[in-house]
Amino acid sequence: MDSNMKEQESIPTSKVQRAAKFITTGAKVGGNYVKHYAKKVVNPSLTKEDLHNENAKDIYNSLSQLKGSALKVAQMMSMDKNILPRAYQDKFTMAQYSAPPLSYPLVVKTFQKHFGKTPDGMFDSFTKSAVNAASIGQVHQATLGKKKLAVKIQYPGVADSVSSDLKLVRPFALRLLNMSEKELDHYMEEVEEKLLEETDYELEVARSKEISAACGHIANLSFPSYYEEMSSSRIITMDWIDGQHIREWLANKNPSQEERNRVGQALWDFYHHQVHELKQVHADPHPGNFIIQDDGKLGIIDFGCVKVIPEDFYKGYFSLIKKDLMINEQELDQIFYGLEFISDRDTADEKLYFKSVFKEMISLLGKPFHVDSFDFANDDYFEQIFQLGDRISNDKMFKKSRQARGSRHGLYVNRTYFGIYNLLNQLQANISTTKPEWLKA
Amino acid sequence: MEKEVTKKTSKVDPKTKIVEGYMAYILEHGQEPASIFKFAKELKMKEEDFYNYYTSFEAIKSAVWEQLFDRTIVNVESQEVYTSYSSREKLLSFLFTWIEELKKNRSYLLVLYGSKKDLKGLLPSEVKVFKGMFKDFANEIILAGKETEEIADRPVITDRYDDALWLQVWFVFQFWLKDTSPAFEKTDAAIEKSVNLAFDLMGKSALDTFIDFAKFLYQQK
Repeated sequence: MDSNMKEQESIPTSKVQRAAKFITTGAKVGGNYVKHYAKKVVNPSLTKEDLHNENAKDIYNSLSQLKGSALKVAQMMSMDKNILPRAYQDKFTMAQYSAPPLSYPLVVKTFQKHFGKTPDGMFDSFTKSAVNAASIGQVHQATLGKKKLAVKIQYPGVADSVSSDLKLVRPFALRLLNMSEKELDHYMEEVEEKLLEETDYELEVARSKEISAACGHIANLSFPSYYEEMSSSRIITMDWIDGQHIREWLANKNPSQEERNRVGQALWDFYHHQVHELKQVHADPHPGNFIIQDDGKLGIIDFGCVKVIPEDFYKGYFSLIKKDLMINEQELDQIFYGLEFISDRDTADEKLYFKSVFKEMISLLGKPFHVDSFDFANDDYFEQIFQLGDRISNDKMFKKSRQARGSRHGLYVNRTYFGIYNLLNQLQANISTTKPEWLKA
Repeated sequence: MEKEVTKKTSKVDPKTKIVEGYMAYILEHGQEPASIFKFAKELKMKEEDFYNYYTSFEAIKSAVWEQLFDRTIVNVESQEVYTSYSSREKLLSFLFTWIEELKKNRSYLLVLYGSKKDLKGLLPSEVKVFKGMFKDFANEIILAGKETEEIADRPVITDRYDDALWLQVWFVFQFWLKDTSPAFEKTDAAIEKSVNLAFDLMGKSALDTFIDFAKFLYQQK
């Protein structure tokens, strides 16, 4: 039966062991650099890409044996495609799919703890092994009466280990993201806060209900119902959504351009409404959270990560997508200060450099907003973004700067938009890129 | 006398009264009664009557452990899925349920074992009966595991598997005593991970294949 379960075959247990795991990876990465330069002496044509490839492999191998927040960070890094060199990305994307499951007795125990009943006592049927593994929990399928349900169960101790896991990831993030410590702390706080929220399943149910009710009117979207009486701080019960993930859908159905546009537009409208009306957003747009149903509707699950967008950040951030903004130097300066892109601690040279960098980035990233409809199938556009990202992160001026740049709120909002762009690119969709009223003029 | 103790059916059974009285005493006073005489007096029993049931405090403590074991087994077996579990899952299920039983008596156990430093080396003598019962249980699972080939049958070593599993139970107990995480979630994680490790070690692995190969090479000489 399930003895197969590679269930946590060798998940490092204690913090010490986990730390050891990271140290070996660190050593390996260091070794890769040595190897790389040694090889380079012999064969000068060797590219950085090869090195990244090897590093990514080692880092991924160690991360995939960890669960919880470390995996979460890997996932996040895999989202921020423009920060991470290509080779890292590919490996990290794999992390979004695999994590070993919990044993069934522990599932039973968790149920007994929270409801005083076994899964069999609560549902008419309940799958013994997980049908789906997420980074901090796993999903079982259940039936009750005529209803097909998805039951998500959190790994024990995940909430406790968030902070210590993040400390372990730090040195890696430093190395990978080419950041100074200060810069990193600036963001780590935000990440920690969000990860802790993600372990709070009661909050997740409340938010899921709130957002899905507020977005219920949007065409071609569908949300599962959540069952509070069968949910707790470690368990969430919701409707099972039948359908396929975007990648499967594209491969199996070979959908027409029209169908792809429809799904893409639903996705766009969903985010438009959240960002501009609700000011809080489903900030985890990774492919696993979207399911395309047989009727072509886009099902949305997992509201574990919701970013509330503060009003003043919202104003500044989205002012940047105004097309003619670039002309008005003074207004731009003000926004840059507001979003902490530049500060008074910068030298005049730095100010000039970073202003030009950010201008370039913004005009590129804001492109879809400058037109009425945008074709996300345009791979050239994405190539440009990657190239710009690579170029900037390799620039001496950029590396030298010891300052944290960009408001912490930007972290999840950026991640969300990269995620959406990325999904729309996968869908090869042509989208009518709506903008809020105040930005239209 | 062990057999007698396990049969505690009626509620007014003097044995139950003694065990419960003893636990209550420990909980309230934080230590053992000074003597059987004093304790019997408190229970409004004659000392000589007392000896009909238990002859020492140790025997009472031993009975508490047996109770923990019995309740765990009853609880585990009442779950319908239990029979369909693999050996690995049976042990997990046992430990998770056992910890729940322990939880009900945590204060009592902490008084007796919380401050002992040499738990690792020296097994308190009152736990021995519990150990025996657990080993019987473990042998049952191991046998079933061998039949399904979940557990590899290795000469000599296999006979010690029950001891290995006992060490694990004792490890879990000590871990739990020191656990301060909410709802003892860390103990849950410790159980899950240690059992998986144990079964991965007991299962067929690269080591067996290696030994087989080494044997083959040796025989070629």
